Amino acid sequence: MRDYILFYLNGKRYEVRGEQAFMSLADFLRYERGLTGTKIVCAEGDCGACSVLRGEVLPEQDELRYSTINACITFVHLMDGTHVVTVEGLQDEQALSPIQQAMVENYGAQCGFCTPGFVCAMTDLVNHNAYQNPKGQTHLDEKQIRNGLTGNLCRCTGYTPIIEAGKAVNLAQFTPLQKRYNSPEMMAELRRHRSVPIRIQAGNKDFYAPLSYAEAVTFKQAQNAQIFASATDLGVQINKERSNPTVICSLNLVPEAHALSESGGVISVGARVTLNELEHFMRGHIPEFARLLKIFASPQIKNKGTLVGNVANASPIADTLPFLFVADAEVELTGPNGKRRVNINRFYTGYKQLDMRPEELISRILIPIPDPADSLRLFKVSNRKDLDISTFTAGFRLRLENDLISQIAIAYGGVAATVLRLPKTEAFLQGKPFNLETFQAAGAIARSEISPISDVRASAAYRLKLAENILLKLYHALAPSPAEAVGV
Amino acid sequence: MKTKSLPHDSARGHVTGESVFLDDRPLQRGELHVGLVFSPVAHGKILSVDTSAALALSGVAGVFTAADLHHNLWGTIIQDQPLLADKTVNFWGEAIAIVAAENRATLAAAKKLVKVEIEALPAILSIDEARAQEAFIAVERTILKGDPDTALAQSPHRLDGVFENKGQDHFYLESHISIVYPLENDQLEVHASSQHPTEVQHLVSEALGLRQSQVTCIVKRMGGGFGGKESQAATFSAYAALVAHKLKRPARLALSKDEDMQTTGKRHPFKDWYSVGFDTEGRIQALDVKLFADGGAYADLSTSILERAMLHSDNAYHLPNARIVGRICRTHNTPHTAFRGFGGPQGVAMIENVLEEIAIYLGKDALDVRRINCYQGEEQTTPYGQVVVNNTLPALFDRLSETANYAQRRTEIQAFNASSQTHLRGLALTAVKFGISFTSRFLNQGNALVNIHRDGTIQVSTGATEMGQGVNTKLQQLVAEAFAIPYQNVTLLPTATDKNHNTSPTAASSGSDINGAAVVLACAQLQQRLKACLLAHWAQPVRGALEELSITGQEDTSQILFQDGYLVHKDNPEQRMAFAEAVNLAFFNRISLSGYGHFKTPIPGYDRDAGKGHPFLYYTNGVAACEVLIDRLTGELKILRSDVLMDLGRPINEGIDRGQVTGAFVQGLGWVTTENLVYSDTGALLSHSPTTYKIPNIQDTPREFHLELLENEEPSNVRGSKAVGEPPLLLGFAAWAAVKNALSSTHAHYNPPLRLPATAEVILSCLK
Ligand SMILES: Cc1cc2nc3c(=O)[nH]c(=O)nc-3n(C[C@H](O)[C@H](O)[C@H](O)COP(=O)(O)OP(=O)(O)OC[C@H]3O[C@@H](n4cnc5c(N)ncnc54)[C@H](O)[C@@H]3O)c2cc1C
Ligand code: FES
Ligand code: FES
Repeated sequence: MRDYILFYLNGKRYEVRGEQAFMSLADFLRYERGLTGTKIVCAEGDCGACSVLRGEVLPEQDELRYSTINACITFVHLMDGTHVVTVEGLQDEQALSPIQQAMVENYGAQCGFCTPGFVCAMTDLVNHNAYQNPKGQTHLDEKQIRNGLTGNLCRCTGYTPIIEAGKAVNLAQFTPLQKRYNSPEMMAELRRHRSVPIRIQAGNKDFYAPLSYAEAVTFKQAQNAQIFASATDLGVQINKERSNPTVICSLNLVPEAHALSESGGVISVGARVTLNELEHFMRGHIPEFARLLKIFASPQIKNKGTLVGNVANASPIADTLPFLFVADAEVELTGPNGKRRVNINRFYTGYKQLDMRPEELISRILIPIPDPADSLRLFKVSNRKDLDISTFTAGFRLRLENDLISQIAIAYGGVAATVLRLPKTEAFLQGKPFNLETFQAAGAIARSEISPISDVRASAAYRLKLAENILLKLYHALAPSPAEAVGV
Repeated sequence: MKTKSLPHDSARGHVTGESVFLDDRPLQRGELHVGLVFSPVAHGKILSVDTSAALALSGVAGVFTAADLHHNLWGTIIQDQPLLADKTVNFWGEAIAIVAAENRATLAAAKKLVKVEIEALPAILSIDEARAQEAFIAVERTILKGDPDTALAQSPHRLDGVFENKGQDHFYLESHISIVYPLENDQLEVHASSQHPTEVQHLVSEALGLRQSQVTCIVKRMGGGFGGKESQAATFSAYAALVAHKLKRPARLALSKDEDMQTTGKRHPFKDWYSVGFDTEGRIQALDVKLFADGGAYADLSTSILERAMLHSDNAYHLPNARIVGRICRTHNTPHTAFRGFGGPQGVAMIENVLEEIAIYLGKDALDVRRINCYQGEEQTTPYGQVVVNNTLPALFDRLSETANYAQRRTEIQAFNASSQTHLRGLALTAVKFGISFTSRFLNQGNALVNIHRDGTIQVSTGATEMGQGVNTKLQQLVAEAFAIPYQNVTLLPTATDKNHNTSPTAASSGSDINGAAVVLACAQLQQRLKACLLAHWAQPVRGALEELSITGQEDTSQILFQDGYLVHKDNPEQRMAFAEAVNLAFFNRISLSGYGHFKTPIPGYDRDAGKGHPFLYYTNGVAACEVLIDRLTGELKILRSDVLMDLGRPINEGIDRGQVTGAFVQGLGWVTTENLVYSDTGALLSHSPTTYKIPNIQDTPREFHLELLENEEPSNVRGSKAVGEPPLLLGFAAWAAVKNALSSTHAHYNPPLRLPATAEVILSCLK
């Protein structure tokens, strides 16, 4: 057992003890280390001004893997075993890095407040495409740049100059972060610490990172601890004073929590598998789910956030849920008496109410890969296409036989206190011919099964209309007329 | 974007994280964290404010209320707003008390311990309610041209309608912040994130009862301003200054993004009622419009903003007869304030919508209607009587419709819309003619200080504040060019009221114009002295310790030029002296190496009582075309392509100007599409953070974006350039017009009741 968090910051080793371990990473950088290049704007993961790079140890690799995260909604204790690189750590000695140079030359910075965040996110993009996962390009293309910078807001430039800067970077001139920073000593230290559990107690705060689910369950039961996955939800709640967990249990050092695998047509997702890992994995297994994950939050959020966190957070607009519902996924719960499984369709009993006992935790999500004969379609409607929480979500799994709908599962989000299946609509569609009239008629039934509310994102009337129209979208998506191929 | 122009003077610091923003300053010994207690209701009577529990908390240094202020009323134009509410509260988020604590955690706890008892009163939350109750700010204003009543009656066609736009949050990334250091003899050093350091200085001194000469306000940079830090920034400095002055300790007040959005003013919502008469070609004969602005609870800058809205109700279009009436509604919303465009966007949106509706009514292409209405030649006058000269509008329309391939795309879109069951496309080409100058004449002045040091390097300061727009870089360039020295040898100093006083806000797009012209004047003095000194030296160098060169300032020095770091005789290039050497020559002969320039814009001005005059030095013009794609089933919107063409004179720094255009344009797109301010029934802003308030993301920048600048030297302005900060924002309206165009395409003459912003929900509700 150790009583400190170990991480590296811009190449330098840090052991953090006591209260400081509970600070947000952004506060720690700015106020404890004087690294004020990292800015705080929203403190809720939605602007990217606090973006920093985080290098993680991967099994059987002698280098770290870097990705960007939001420093405002992560905590020092969650950085254990990583290398954090801030904007201050990106210059090549005195010279600007090629990314920084390109941003200067292309007017990528106006007021400059968003700039360190953009520089970090762009460095991630370059480091990834030039080194971690090279595709033989000399320069980034516009699509990569836009996708890679979705988590960063700029109010001054209109983004065009930043895109131009991204395109101007010569990947060959970039020194990968691994080459620059990953010494054998750093790697050995980080690795060594992964097998030593952590317990930090300071004031009324208590942090525990055990090596197994069993120890976590024992601690949770004894201390009424809150499980922290990567805190993309919890960090916001804490920053906005909506919650103040004092006893914290992290599964970060539990090896099986990081496991993501497929066997016998079932995908198993451990409690610490990130949405980014999942997105990549799903491209080969369930491409439609991967497509949905593409417009889930931002790279920064997905590099940290977990599927299990999304499920446990139990929001009725959690984007992964309609899929998990229609895929008949199972939640594996681990408690003092071992494991049990609950079909996700029965997991939510009310608004933020779960069929999970206080002493249990979620150890895995099990997702059966849909039968190839089934069509899977997932929809997310939001006020802004990218980096936005959904107004309405829908998942459909259906099978057509001889132009008749032989099987159908429908789940909607954003229309009630939990994500819902629509049994009446499903029953209506069962056996019906696959044509526009069928789906028009189904719309009226779908409306009757839901009771959305008006809130800051949309009115109930809009959600009712979407509940109806999404069935038409489903129809058109599966039976595209020639015009639909254009521009969509 | 290929350009050889000078990079932004802070770019290096920005990309390395070295640039210091206010909250990046290290805490000083004893520095206090300051926060505010805000009204939790939109309108109410304050029954009591009990600070005792907060004061009792360990780590709380002080709690202050209205009674602690020397003078508790402010307002840039009309003094009608208390700094701290004492009897009533008039908007949700109005400040009631100031709390100062040793650390941030204590501050957060102490704010909750201040007990405010309020009896809620009925609140006016909309323009309609304010009109019904006749709750207004200031007087009604009118601009009248010709005889609109007769012309309307005689027009072949007439349309009556209502146009409504919502507000917009500035969403500068750096929220309001101020740090105040108490100095000796009750002096204060105020560091503000403000576009108007002089107003900060004046408000702080007035609120605390200090002499203006005891207060210095310094602005190094802002993390964005966009008008939101023009007037309202001063109040936050006053709060921090009160703490610093009373407790004699440094004090830092930094709002969170949520607090900033909840409690500060926005772009003004407007609701306009109009009648327009036109002929069968769509040529406007008369416009009769009443503009109502939601001013919020206090006057702030609303009178000037309404004035600019009225002065832009013609936009690029000639109105032979017009009556433009404006009124400010007093509501219980946040006092609305300056925002890039300053009323211009609201006026322009109104008339552009009218043109779109005329086209729908006549079944014509809106571009044709715009083109025949746009100002022609050099003699047509605006409703307020200014002649539109150096008129590039027809040329801009013609060129953009060519380069954007308007006609062909129109045909393609019609075919697409006829066949698609799931999507609609729309296209629109709109314009901007933006008047440059403050409409209050006295603001059109600026001063500059240019100090040459002994090594030949120069420090420059003006009243212009740097908020990312690159004004410092332009000034740096002007000075470097004046003396033909490397730009690295010119440093722009933080804006400070002890160097440049009685300055105007950096606003109205005029920062570079006014301050640039003042810098040029200051440089001219120095050029004259250095050249005269050199001529005297060449004529007869001093001999012996007691001789000295002397100059009158009236010498003809035209034979000397500044070239490549030298002062050179124009007829004899061999005869020359390095700049630094000439500087030392002047120094040893006791000639001043400091230039002070004062500039006033040569304009007659505007008589607001008469609604007539010549308020603007010139116009910045532009046009934009936007093509949009709408999902017919969800209302979701995508901007497929944008083409922007602007007349920016001869830019001082093209790279910076292009960045202003792309930035302002996308900000305009945000206003008209996704940026949705949602309030509760009781007047609290619900969309107060980026989670729910959606400014454009990098994915929202049009996938295809063409930007061209038309070179057209502006004879009246500094170095032939034109102001750029605000005008392109108004071109974002093209996206809204394209949405309207798309929606109207489903049925002949269908005029969709589209509001602004055109959110997905609003769009879906307009689909017929
Ligand atoms: C800017 C931003 C954008 C976002 N965008 C989206 C979006 O587009 N779509 C969307 O659906 N969500 C979005 N989210 C929400 C969030 O990212 C997801 O819900 C994420 O999946 C949560 O995972 P996490 O690991 O961060 O969970 P955490 O925040 O660590 O935990 C969330 C909850 O789950 C509990 N928990 C975690 N692990 C376990 C476990 N093993 N057993 C029991 N309980 C557990 C925690 O106690 C906590 O209550 C966004 C969030 C932010 C900040
Ligand atoms: S501060 Fe906005 S994402 Fe962290
Ligand atoms: S440069 Fe100002 S927010 Fe991006």
